[in-house]
Amino acid sequence: MSENRAFQRAHILANHILRSPPPPSNLSLAREACLQYSPPELSESYGFDVKDMRRLLDGHNMEDRDWLYGLMMQSNLFNRKERGGKLFVSPDYNQTMEQQREITMKRIWYLLEKGVYRGWLTDSGPDAELKKLALLEVCGIYDHSLSIKLGVHFFLWGNAVKFFGTKRHHEKWLKNTEDYVVKGCFAMTELGHGSNVRGIETVTTYDPRTGEFVINTPCESAQKYWIGGAAKHATHTIVFSQLSINGTNQGVHAFIAQIRDEDGNICPNIRVADCGHKIGLNGVDNGRIWFDNLRIPRENLLNSVADVSPDGEYVSAIKDPDQRFGAFMAPLTSGRVTIASSAIYSAKVGLAIALRYSLSRRAFSVTANGPEVLLLDYPSHQRRLLPLLAKTYAMSFAANDLKMIYVKRTPETNKAIHVVSSGLKAVLTWHNMRTLQECREAVGGQGVKTENLVGQLKGEFDVQTTFEGDNNVLMQQVSKALFAEYVSCKKRNKPFKGLGLEHMNSPCPVLPTQLSSSTLRCSQFQKNVFCLRERDLLERFTSEVAQLQGRGESRESSFLVNHELAEDLGKAFTEKAILQTVLDAEAKLPAGSLKDVLGLVRSMYALISLEEDPSFLRYGYLSRDNVGDVRREVSKLCGELRPHALALVTSFGIPDAFLGPIAFNWVEANAWSSV
Amino acid sequence: MASEPHSQVLVEETSSVRILTLNRPKKLNALSLNMINRLLQLFLAYEEDPSVKLIILKGQGRAFCAGDDVSAVVRDIKLGKWRRSADFMSLGYTLNYVMATYSKDQVSILNGIVMGGGAGVCVHGRFRIATENTVFAMPQTSLGVFPDVGASYFLSRLPGFFGEYVGLTGARLDGAEMLACGLATHFVPSTRLSALEADLCRVGSSDPVTFASTILDAHTQYPHPKHRSACHRLDVIDKCFSRRTVEEIISALESEATHKPDDWTSATIGALKKASPASLKISLRSIREGRLQGVGQCLIRENRTVSHVMKGDISKDFVEGCRAILIDKDRNPKWEPRRLEEMKDSMVEQYFKRVEDEEGWEDLKLPPRKDLPASAIAKL
Repeated sequence: MSENRAFQRAHILANHILRSPPPPSNLSLAREACLQYSPPELSESYGFDVKDMRRLLDGHNMEDRDWLYGLMMQSNLFNRKERGGKLFVSPDYNQTMEQQREITMKRIWYLLEKGVYRGWLTDSGPDAELKKLALLEVCGIYDHSLSIKLGVHFFLWGNAVKFFGTKRHHEKWLKNTEDYVVKGCFAMTELGHGSNVRGIETVTTYDPRTGEFVINTPCESAQKYWIGGAAKHATHTIVFSQLSINGTNQGVHAFIAQIRDEDGNICPNIRVADCGHKIGLNGVDNGRIWFDNLRIPRENLLNSVADVSPDGEYVSAIKDPDQRFGAFMAPLTSGRVTIASSAIYSAKVGLAIALRYSLSRRAFSVTANGPEVLLLDYPSHQRRLLPLLAKTYAMSFAANDLKMIYVKRTPETNKAIHVVSSGLKAVLTWHNMRTLQECREAVGGQGVKTENLVGQLKGEFDVQTTFEGDNNVLMQQVSKALFAEYVSCKKRNKPFKGLGLEHMNSPCPVLPTQLSSSTLRCSQFQKNVFCLRERDLLERFTSEVAQLQGRGESRESSFLVNHELAEDLGKAFTEKAILQTVLDAEAKLPAGSLKDVLGLVRSMYALISLEEDPSFLRYGYLSRDNVGDVRREVSKLCGELRPHALALVTSFGIPDAFLGPIAFNWVEANAWSSV
Repeated sequence: MASEPHSQVLVEETSSVRILTLNRPKKLNALSLNMINRLLQLFLAYEEDPSVKLIILKGQGRAFCAGDDVSAVVRDIKLGKWRRSADFMSLGYTLNYVMATYSKDQVSILNGIVMGGGAGVCVHGRFRIATENTVFAMPQTSLGVFPDVGASYFLSRLPGFFGEYVGLTGARLDGAEMLACGLATHFVPSTRLSALEADLCRVGSSDPVTFASTILDAHTQYPHPKHRSACHRLDVIDKCFSRRTVEEIISALESEATHKPDDWTSATIGALKKASPASLKISLRSIREGRLQGVGQCLIRENRTVSHVMKGDISKDFVEGCRAILIDKDRNPKWEPRRLEEMKDSMVEQYFKRVEDEEGWEDLKLPPRKDLPASAIAKL
């Protein structure tokens, strides 16, 4: 009898494929006695093409990314393990600091042998740069230590040689760096000076008799600190130091110094100490360096900006020391670009894990003896995770946009890149930390298990809010730059151009008093309210600073007094820049399901930003009633995004193996048979 | 229920075991529409029949299964009925999926040729028994197609980059090599197969997985792959076949051949140069994507690609490959595009998209399964 039924089923299947009417679905939904894992794929459907969405989110080099994911999955160096019938690759964070450092270096060698870094320094142009950025992002999805160790070597050491150096440096170092014949690090930060690079105390003098520079660490606060690679592996370093020529300080310059020989022994006149165990990133060997009158050849000054002649004369094409310093800081932009985008990929990992879990884990029944409710079917759970999901989407577009303007940079766009990358680096890394914490709590106790990643990632990514420029300092720089732009336009009586300030040339937008649902979801309204906030805060900030300056205060101290306005303005600028990138992405899409869901995501991003920033109420852009309407709309949007949750995290394109076991069959992964 | 002797799938029943024999020996048991239909019926029936504990699948004659019945497929394409060919492939993929997600144990006895579609009806099952007569290959790139039937799933999961090697070159593996790389789970000399079958039929009421494992482990041997085997060249295979593109793979092999010339390297380069450039690029991308996907998603994607291959809008290499290898047998296919660099990324991309301009064409709809194993799930 059962055979007859199966015949019938097979017949139906065959007929369906050979184009006959579809078979009736006869899935039974009987309650099981024990809890059983049911993959969210069985109950959720995709309302749009997830592959198309992934293409939109990753933006570029999808095949290169997939290749690198595969390279890591196929090697035991990447700590392959099976849980619940699936393969996972993720570092063993229970290893000692020393073991983590060694395995990270071995992973770097493996990827080198596979040709992953080919062209990272020797190729140029936007395509080569985008490929490099994509591959670095994938490394960071596997392990932040891996991407940071690579980032220090290629983006800090390598780019310093490339951008500060000239032909002689390029020929000597670039290819050797790409092949890891030398291992570079980047000694900028000191114990006493971090974000304020101009205050560093390391001093370099020139000895014309021998044609050498002499680098010295004059006091303990001048020791180089947090130098990634210095504690164990690096053979060479860029040294940032004051350059003193004939008693005149010419400001901060960059030099190349060897710190270890090929066998790993520390060179004479160098002392190195370990920074020790950290709250995360223990695969990176951060160290401290002291220079005891270290002598290096004159040619080791990276001389694209300034040079010292053999007889000791200082020459520079850039006379203004401020501009000269600015030229030296340019490579740090690439660091901010990669950090911003890596923060978003980390948030994607966290959300993919937490949302997949919330679509397979149930808790409490709403009715007596009723089935327990899926976590994500609780409005409160939706409210915790879905706005963060929408923000991650929005910021993902912003990070892509930043990469695009970075790889197509020209001298004219440098200022804009500096301002946008500062704002985005700060906002995106803060967003990642907040998202990871929410995800950790949303998966409950499972989140504290290292193998489930969300908890561990908090420690691994925390430092992003500090390195390559403290987030608060960067946000102040955004406001200062906007101030300068405003003052300069007003002074020359010219219209605003660039930094997205063009809206300031038009009349101030007027918001409707009553905010209906359709108004709140209208992109023009959303844009207007973001522009209004930015415009008003910029005007307030400049007028407050001008008033203080009028009373004889210096510009700097006027900024300091107005730090709260500066903070609000920096946020207003960055959030508006993010909204604009989503609108641009949306505008490029043809009408269809992808555009529709992106519209929901964009509205959620815009409205949650309105709800979360007290500026809108504080400065009266929105009324109390308005804010109530916004809140109701956010809650409605949660309900509308809920059916897309699985498709939206699937579109992140992060392979299963790079997520934690609780994202999949957590019952089987924890079964006695898997112990 | 006894089956008639002329049936293309023979069925023997014991109390708890079903022995299915592919019975088309003159065609090396190549899978016809009829056979695929019948296998699908039987597998679905046995899944619902509580008395069935174990299914044994084997082939009549010197082959287990030499693949799909390609001549019929090509005939349809030439008649302008590519949709019929594509539908035939879809039904095969459905069978592959049912096997891959099967809740009972399938023991496949590979005492002879296992090629192309033949791999699809055994590798997805739990136990694959190789013998000294086994010859395994995925020869699709020399026919102008690509390793399908879920091969992008199982090849990509072989150790290191062995899957790329097997899938791109069509290299033949013997039983010992299949065991070494994991395509086979056991190796049993052919003289002991009847004893093995008899033992397996005694499964009774014990847990079939444990039972079958115990029996198979008792019969299995661990032959060493022969001296010249690719299994001893995993380092070179990993070094070369891990490269990002087909061009880079060939250039890595060529540089290997310059530094350490030997027959294996030259033969490998030769196989790649003879294969269809379009097929090589599609195959590499398919395996790379498959590595990140579940078996269901792999089959859906392969079904898209095979539809494009059958449709022949981008390249007609499949018809040409079959002409040169199977029909005219001149072994001199005229590939188009002729060279790797002429097969642009954008053309490869086309093979991975839906067939848009074809009325009624749909993505493969996989049958709902009760207990979806982890291996079936992945996201893109």
